[in-house]
Amino acid sequence: MPQTTAQDDPALRARFERDVLPVLPSLYGAAMRLTRNPTDAEDLVQETYLRAFRGFAGFQEGTNLKAWLYRILTNSYINTYRKKQREPQTVDGPDDLDEWYLFDRLGAQSVEGSAEDEVLDRIPDEDVKRALESLPENFRLPVLLADVEGFSYKEIAEIMDSPIGTVMSRLHRGRKALERALWETAKERGLVDG
Amino acid sequence: MVDCGPECEETLRQIEGFLDHELDPDLRSKIERHLSGCGSCTDRAAFQQHLKELVGSKCAERQLPDGLKERIGQLMAGGEPSGLDVQPSA
Repeated sequence: MPQTTAQDDPALRARFERDVLPVLPSLYGAAMRLTRNPTDAEDLVQETYLRAFRGFAGFQEGTNLKAWLYRILTNSYINTYRKKQREPQTVDGPDDLDEWYLFDRLGAQSVEGSAEDEVLDRIPDEDVKRALESLPENFRLPVLLADVEGFSYKEIAEIMDSPIGTVMSRLHRGRKALERALWETAKERGLVDG
Repeated sequence: MVDCGPECEETLRQIEGFLDHELDPDLRSKIERHLSGCGSCTDRAAFQQHLKELVGSKCAERQLPDGLKERIGQLMAGGEPSGLDVQPSA
């Protein structure tokens, strides 16, 4: 017996459009940070939209729609684009975690008239995006989900289908790796003396 | 590393979970109490909070590209879109 879909149920379809369309811009942002190019990002969002549309009858109203959509996006990315991009699936982060990497380095700068964190504000948006995109995928994804999308550890664990301890460890290492990348960017931009 | 006592050490060890709003209420209050009296830990916490917010705001995309908007519009208008063979998601 065919499953009811959003296609042949007008109420379901209306709810899909009402609830899913507003999430598309942030899904596109995540797709950009994952695929690192607009063509693949657009295809990935379209694929996510289609999978969500076809699976929407099975989504329980009142549960976490945004997390459900990000899980579809993440799975689609892993199944389609990661193969295409041939990125190694597991990459180690930095071994020597310096817990206060950026704080200590910016603090050591004599930046006239500005606090250390104001240096960060002057890094252009595009450079911060590149810095995030430079992280190995298994560290990039939790940072993206936590700091850009605002998901909790538990939600990230569900989206990534990983134990929460793994999420916390990758998030921590990913953030430290991002601090290093931002420091390099600030040096390249001449915002700090390196 | 940081030159301070065990309270500072614990605070800084928990600071990530604290800023992510992931600590249980007792630990959270303990960290808050410490921060209210410790300028050094507060500076570090404020820096990490600022960094987190900066990454969030600078890496977000606020709108869809026109091409994608158009493709989604076509999918919506046509009901079931054609040209892509996608299995229903679990």
